[in-house]
Amino acid sequence: MTKPLPERLMLLVGIVFAVLGSLLPFIWFVLTSLKSQIQVEAIPPTWWPDGSLEFYYSALFDHELFNYIWNSVIVASATTIIALVIATPAAYALARIRLAGKVWVLGGLLCVAMFPQIVIAGPVWQILERIGGLNTHWGLVLPYVTLTLPLAVWILATFFKELPVELEEAAQIDGCTTWQALYKVMLPLAAPGIFTAAILTFIYAWNEFFFALLILTDPAKQTLPVGIALFQGEFTMPWGEIAAASVLATLPLILLVLLFQRGIISGLSSGAVKG
Amino acid sequence: MAGFTLTQLCKSFGHTMVLNEISLEASDGEFVVLLGPSGCGKSTLLRIIAGLEAQSSGSVNIGNRVVDSLPPRDRDIAMVFQQYALYPHLTVRENLAFGLKMRKESTAVIEKRIGDAAELLEIHELLDRKPKELSGGQRQRVAMGRAIVRKPKLFLFDEPLSNLDARLRASMRVELKKLHQRLGVTMVYVTHDQIEAMTLGEKIVVMDQGHILQIGTPDQIYHHPINPFVAAFIGNPPMNLIEGSVHLEGQYLEFHAGDFALRLETHAHIETAIHSDSAVLGIRPEDIKLDIPSEPHLTLSGFIDVVENLGGDHIVYLISQEQHLTARTTPNSRRRAEDPITAYVPLQKLHVFVNQVRIPLELYYH
Repeated sequence: MTKPLPERLMLLVGIVFAVLGSLLPFIWFVLTSLKSQIQVEAIPPTWWPDGSLEFYYSALFDHELFNYIWNSVIVASATTIIALVIATPAAYALARIRLAGKVWVLGGLLCVAMFPQIVIAGPVWQILERIGGLNTHWGLVLPYVTLTLPLAVWILATFFKELPVELEEAAQIDGCTTWQALYKVMLPLAAPGIFTAAILTFIYAWNEFFFALLILTDPAKQTLPVGIALFQGEFTMPWGEIAAASVLATLPLILLVLLFQRGIISGLSSGAVKG
Repeated sequence: MAGFTLTQLCKSFGHTMVLNEISLEASDGEFVVLLGPSGCGKSTLLRIIAGLEAQSSGSVNIGNRVVDSLPPRDRDIAMVFQQYALYPHLTVRENLAFGLKMRKESTAVIEKRIGDAAELLEIHELLDRKPKELSGGQRQRVAMGRAIVRKPKLFLFDEPLSNLDARLRASMRVELKKLHQRLGVTMVYVTHDQIEAMTLGEKIVVMDQGHILQIGTPDQIYHHPINPFVAAFIGNPPMNLIEGSVHLEGQYLEFHAGDFALRLETHAHIETAIHSDSAVLGIRPEDIKLDIPSEPHLTLSGFIDVVENLGGDHIVYLISQEQHLTARTTPNSRRRAEDPITAYVPLQKLHVFVNQVRIPLELYYH
């Protein structure tokens, strides 16, 4: 059904505004990152950059961005893998097995996901200090896994619930143990859910700033958000380098999301419509 | 191949008893149909045989082996589900191979079995498709193929045809029957459809509310239903059932239901008198004749209410002595609503149930 022209025009204008509005800060950063130092400090500010890549060079080599990228890759990947390895069987159990108090477990998970970070910051720091996890990557991965697990479990449980029980029973009759039925039949079918959970977990770990700042004080161990935030010196504010680094930090996420776009869309919209 | 024995199976969910002392035996190669209305426990019984559900008490024996403690994969069974339950991420070929691979069969054996099954079910050209590219009937065939390739001791079917349209259901029914004839393997088939039960079953088990009401061949179940429930459940249009009181004494049988009265002389002498106010008189629609039969019969006069023309048959709804009766007769275009009519019922076709139990009247009329 096509709508009348004025309505369509209004819709179009609305969409353009919404997209521009949310992209504007990012566009400004991309533009800034491509300027030269003179352009950045020019008053009035110039819109169009001259395409200089000096900030990228400086961010990558003077500020050792590769080091931060590497740290982020390690922390975010480890968080994602560990969270999913734990969340998958947990979600499967919650979705399938008759358990007393299942509702309370799921509700509890949701509550944990809603804790303000500052509430648990102190205890987390103390625990990590006690067990020697400060200034280590695993010390950061640990709270990340804890904080991303509820969401991952929820997403996956929703998925497992939608898969017909008969498939699993057919697999059992065909010769599978419960575990085999899970990874040979249920996991491939829950792939969109797993992608969704994985990407959301990865994005969380990649972007997280507060705990990273709290736990990692050694610049050699710091992740991207903390590293970039600490670009600024006592008397300098290297806008250009920060912009270039931010663009570089965002690119992997954009690539990742584009790559798995279809999986994520069906993941996020599942449950809305029975498919 | 093997038969199976169920011994006093009980199953309860919490305080709800869904199966009550179910005992059943099937010989090697028999086609057993579990028939009953939804919620009668027939599917639960099938799932207990499969090992997908654990019984609360009692025992399952498949091929002279007690399988109570075995998981489904070790029971040497195959099951066809109502929703087909094909693995959506695998092709038809992979679906068929799945169970064989799990059992570590060699590639040569797997290829051979898939080839044989594909030939039997005529699904050769579907082997490289995914389940979502198949029609309902094709999916059903593949689901059966997945069961066949395994060469199990026992086939279990959980309402496999109920998702198909009427025409396809009829043709799949025939194919299932052929399949059973060719494979000669024991099959257990759950359905609420009395036509499927009658056409497929060699042994029909009629269930209601967790109990087995009657076990018998289709003919036994149809002609000698053990109680009014079984009588009404089998047959289409359903049996006419008239509730009233009965008195059996000496050579006489008397039945009363309001204005409807019946007094018959039997050929036998009934030694102990039977009297009950909870009696049911049953007459199958096709046993109500509109032409005078030669055997001893009962005569009913009344008038026609409605005539349904099915082409080959007419279903005549008639009212006699305030009782609404259904008759299935040969077509006759001269019948009109409200016309007077006289109908006849051969005496040996009457079913009489006293206190929910069949009185074997055939003993009294030879």
